[in-house]
Amino acid sequence: MKSKIVIAAFYLLVIVMTPMSGFSEPLTGAQILEQVDNNLQPGDLEMYRKIINIEPDGKKKEFVLWFLKKDRDKVVTLFVSPASEEGRATLRLGDNMWLYIPNVGKPIRITSMQSVVGGVFNNADIMRLDYSVEYDVTGLSEDQGQHFLELKAKTGAVAYDRLKMWVLKKELVPTRIDCHAATGMLIKTLHFKEVKDIGDGVVRPAVMETDSPLYKGFRSIMISANLKKRSLPDEVFTLNYLPRVKDLR
Amino acid sequence: MALRTGLLALLVVLGGTAAAGEYDFSIPQAETKPYTIGGRLEGRYIYHRLNEDSARYRLNYYRDAPGSDTDEWRALLELSGSYRQGIFQANLLTHHQFVDADETDEWDNEIYEGYASLAPTAQLTLDAGKKQILWGKGYAWNPAGFLNRPKDPDDPALNLEGRPLLGLDLIRSFTAGRLANIGLTGLLLPAIDDWGNEDLGEEGDLNAALKLYLLWYDTDLDFIYFDGPEQPRSFGFDFAKNLAENIEVHGELAFQEDVPHVVLDAAGNVRYTREDQTSWLAGVRYLNAIDTTFIVEYYHNGGGYDRSEVEDFFAYQEAAFDRWEATGDPSSMQRADQVTKPYYQQRNYGKDYGYLKISQKEPFDILYFNPWVAAAVNLQDLSFNLQPGMTWTAVTNFEFNFRVAIPVGPSNTEFGEKPDALRPEIWVRYYF
Repeated sequence: MKSKIVIAAFYLLVIVMTPMSGFSEPLTGAQILEQVDNNLQPGDLEMYRKIINIEPDGKKKEFVLWFLKKDRDKVVTLFVSPASEEGRATLRLGDNMWLYIPNVGKPIRITSMQSVVGGVFNNADIMRLDYSVEYDVTGLSEDQGQHFLELKAKTGAVAYDRLKMWVLKKELVPTRIDCHAATGMLIKTLHFKEVKDIGDGVVRPAVMETDSPLYKGFRSIMISANLKKRSLPDEVFTLNYLPRVKDLR
Repeated sequence: MALRTGLLALLVVLGGTAAAGEYDFSIPQAETKPYTIGGRLEGRYIYHRLNEDSARYRLNYYRDAPGSDTDEWRALLELSGSYRQGIFQANLLTHHQFVDADETDEWDNEIYEGYASLAPTAQLTLDAGKKQILWGKGYAWNPAGFLNRPKDPDDPALNLEGRPLLGLDLIRSFTAGRLANIGLTGLLLPAIDDWGNEDLGEEGDLNAALKLYLLWYDTDLDFIYFDGPEQPRSFGFDFAKNLAENIEVHGELAFQEDVPHVVLDAAGNVRYTREDQTSWLAGVRYLNAIDTTFIVEYYHNGGGYDRSEVEDFFAYQEAAFDRWEATGDPSSMQRADQVTKPYYQQRNYGKDYGYLKISQKEPFDILYFNPWVAAAVNLQDLSFNLQPGMTWTAVTNFEFNFRVAIPVGPSNTEFGEKPDALRPEIWVRYYF
């Protein structure tokens, strides 16, 4: 009888333990955010970005820029088209941002809320760092079958104080991000589309579309393509190097 | 049934094709070439409503007065090109301008930049040739930019002529600590007639400049040194920092030893002295929630003239003009033209200035339209130059600009004695 009880207890233990060993621990909000970062901008890389500003009457203006990223907090962009913008370069090191205009001859400090291209995208959107560098996860729930993350900026230097992020559970890439000011006002919404291989085997949304209640009827689209994993010296991501960054293309 | 299924399948395929075609993922610009060729064309029209009672008008036009107004046309072509082979790169920027004005119809052809670079590593670059230098963090003035060409703060895209130099640039990055980057720039600047640096000394003079850049505690810091056989030894410092996502602060400090200084008294006597001069600038740029940018700067010009010196300066010019009118002898005006040069050669010859620029990004949902208004104020005589303007860049590769300079001030003040009472200006640039 005693041995039967021991066997029954053993089976009970196995039954109780089975679901635990059969499924992995659910991801925390911070882990999901880190995966989102890894999937969107995996490591050191270069890629091209096409920004299209679309006006309510359908008129379009297009910019192409070359994008370099190193570590989690270093970004350089170089405008390669149109001719009026060619050679303009921006550098971001953490919260520091600079713009180099060839005619002006010296890099000038810019801030994240300014926009070097006009339209809905600002500098923080174009030179975005990993989300986990700038934001803490303050809430995780489920919405419309997706992870729903609530994020709060780590410092006052970040462009948007709060983000609401919807993330696909399987692919762990965002589908939508609402960007809010500290006052709670919605500044813009980013829509992520067209999950595909954008180069070097990196599968992620190739299109980011944005609209804003502040720019009613206007849309801006950012298409990412030609991604290559590439590691460059830290010195490339410096103010002195910025006028020469075009030589690396 | 089969037909319906077929049509449905076709619709799905077509629908799918339409969705896939919504975005164009091709980026032909990703193909690179070892060379680049480009340039820009510019047409500019300037109307001058003249202040016939101003000191500068009288000095410029005492013999042949154009009347109450005049205008000028300028056509500009700038061509740029570069060629890259391994660690070697050559760059060229040429400037060709035709000016059709009241007194001149002439072409000006210059090589603004022409230099070769060697960059064996990301940490080291060597430059030789004519290259643009612009140092300092100020928007309207750069007291620490000892080598800068005079700039137009309200037309920042204007190309400036370079300087012949031999240059070395060293960069070092650090991953730990609060010091993130160091950059050291060393320049040798020979004075070569007809090629450049004539303003830096006699033919053959060799000037030297050093700039140490630090990114320290998220702050840009520059320490600048400049010296030459005929140049005052100069020490400069500047900084810039982002205080928040929409606020930037910057400043400059310059100290120059033994600088020649010329002062005119009301009788026209010229006093030559040498003095140490300290200049400084402090500024802030702020962007508000509705995309209005405010730039505010204060500038103390160590080589400038105070209120009483400026009054003497104008009193002398008035006396010289009165003599010319009374006698018809041009010698008094010819002398005035010579001795006032140390004043007029400075973009702003006063002691203390304020600068304010307010620009609004894309108001009323007009994309790529940026109206602005700027004011440079002489804080000692309270005269100022008010300048509203606008830029519109809606058409790819075209830039439309308009501005009106309105100098405001009573007699014997810096801006009250400007030759223009009103100066509207319109220019169009096409980039290719």
